[in-house]
Amino acid sequence: MSDIHRPLLSVENLTIEIDGAGVVDGVSFAVRPGEVLALVGESGCGKSLTSHALLGLLPDVARLTSGRVLLGDTDLAALPERALRKARGKDVSIIFQEPSASLDPLTTVGSQIAEALRQHEKVSRGEAMARARAMLDAVGIPDPDRRLHQYPFELSGGMCQRVMIAVALICGPRVLVADEPTTALDVTIQAQILDLMKRLVAERGTSIVLITHDMGVVADIADHVAVMYAGRIAEIAPVDDLFARPAHPYTALLLASVPRLDVAPKAELATIDGTVPSPQEFGAGCRFAGRCPLVSDRCRTEQPPLFEERPGHRTACWHRERVGEITRAAA
Amino acid sequence: MLRYAIGRLIQAAVAVFGVITIVFVVMHVSGDPTLLLVPQGASAEEIAALRHQLGFDQPILTQYLAYLAGLAHFDFGISVVQRVPAIDIVLSRLPYTIYLAAGALTVAVGAGIPVGILMAANKGTLVERALAAVVLTGQSVPTFLSGILLILIFAVELRWLPTSGVGSLSALIMPSIALGALSMSTFARMMRIAMVDELGKDYVRAARARGLSMRAVVMRHVLRNSAIPVITVAALEIGNLLAGAVIVETVFAWPGIGQLAIQSIQSRDFLVVQVIVLLISFIYVATSVAADFAYAAIDPRIRLAR
Repeated sequence: MSDIHRPLLSVENLTIEIDGAGVVDGVSFAVRPGEVLALVGESGCGKSLTSHALLGLLPDVARLTSGRVLLGDTDLAALPERALRKARGKDVSIIFQEPSASLDPLTTVGSQIAEALRQHEKVSRGEAMARARAMLDAVGIPDPDRRLHQYPFELSGGMCQRVMIAVALICGPRVLVADEPTTALDVTIQAQILDLMKRLVAERGTSIVLITHDMGVVADIADHVAVMYAGRIAEIAPVDDLFARPAHPYTALLLASVPRLDVAPKAELATIDGTVPSPQEFGAGCRFAGRCPLVSDRCRTEQPPLFEERPGHRTACWHRERVGEITRAAA
Repeated sequence: MLRYAIGRLIQAAVAVFGVITIVFVVMHVSGDPTLLLVPQGASAEEIAALRHQLGFDQPILTQYLAYLAGLAHFDFGISVVQRVPAIDIVLSRLPYTIYLAAGALTVAVGAGIPVGILMAANKGTLVERALAAVVLTGQSVPTFLSGILLILIFAVELRWLPTSGVGSLSALIMPSIALGALSMSTFARMMRIAMVDELGKDYVRAARARGLSMRAVVMRHVLRNSAIPVITVAALEIGNLLAGAVIVETVFAWPGIGQLAIQSIQSRDFLVVQVIVLLISFIYVATSVAADFAYAAIDPRIRLAR
């Protein structure tokens, strides 16, 4: 049995509380080497918190109350801050939604890349800058010698995100967490950044945990998809299987709300009525019950576990056999 | 950068020219300046003679040009009380005010900046509240009261420091604290606000994600970014220190510009007052120019802007 099938990163039963409310509740997923896992959901479903928790970078108000973040055999969630710092940027890196704001405006991009390298490896300043330059070249920034000495305000948003990717990858991490990396960018730039990430996965075998709310991005780059709703995993599946046969009403409605070019437009694009409940409104049952067309009494009182619908395809729904009705109605 | 520098210097020159003109207008248009300059109880002939001697019987434009020509030659007139050039009187007192302002600025920056950093770093804790009490005290107690309290405690009761005078470096300690306390509070508050603001920014989280400790993020990135608003305050505070020196110099019998200003007003030595007003205005302008250059040194967005 080779190592390749063993997950590189496995998140187990992650629970995060804000003011006593479980905003992320028992989230589990695994990523194998070189694989891209997309974490999908509406704003406020806890996907960004989940991704920041992987590096122990939760905001002050949030608390990790249980769960493990296993990278190989190490539980990052149990590491003390000092040991965690050694892993950040070296074993697990992260890029954020706002690339321009993620760079210190008063420091050249070259020295910010070099800073990440020098934090984890004993190299001279000159060598660090040389490797930063090589990294800028690798992420497709033209004229890297000039860009190295420029400040973030002299670069476009897309270029800043390339710089952030260079910062994230310079120490050769095994996992890259990308928290909505293309949301703040122009559509054409989005495609370039996604292509860059795909290429890096292929070249370096880096695993990616990609946070997004864009199903188009998911279809483009992901191998596996975890759909989150109100802090819980609703459905997790290989990307093709999820798109072909969604087994959770939320996923089915999400997919139905994506505009498609190959299908003649009906009167209106489908939407999901209502909004994500706030943590104070979470009941004992399924958190999607308030918006679900298949809802029954059982959904309101009893939380569905994750059922193995097909090998590798799990869904948290009592009425998973009826989800096809939603998909057919939308088609 | 060159355009920025030239622009700032031109602005400063305009400000200085404005100050010179306003001082002239206040002195010459608001009434007969001769009356401000003569000793009390002078006869009508003496007043007329002085008016002619000083050229105040000339047309206003002629007077203005003569005034500008005088300034160009560093001629600020003769003190009617002491019969020596007014500028010499002011310059003889200037070093004392510089010592005092430097001492007060050392207290203000040396205590205020660390206090502000500690408050921001310990936001929401008892440490922050304790320091907030210190800051509040510094900004609430008026200088004349804190000066007298300091004298009472450290000079009269404990006998550690001299009550007044300029004999030694130890004599500078209390006036510096009394004068610097208010500025210290201002620096602490501004530093705290600036740093709390910076700590909430995305680049801090991104720097931590590279593996930097919070301390390293603050030292390498946050402090420099926080400095920009604090520099603005520093430029204004240097002016406030000079203004505040009037009271502190009186309380501690410190022979600086502030005390001289009070004495000159009381003895109606108007030309000396005029030199002091001009000098303090120039210092204000000079510190704001210095602040503008400091921004450029720190912030590439200003330095490299075209």
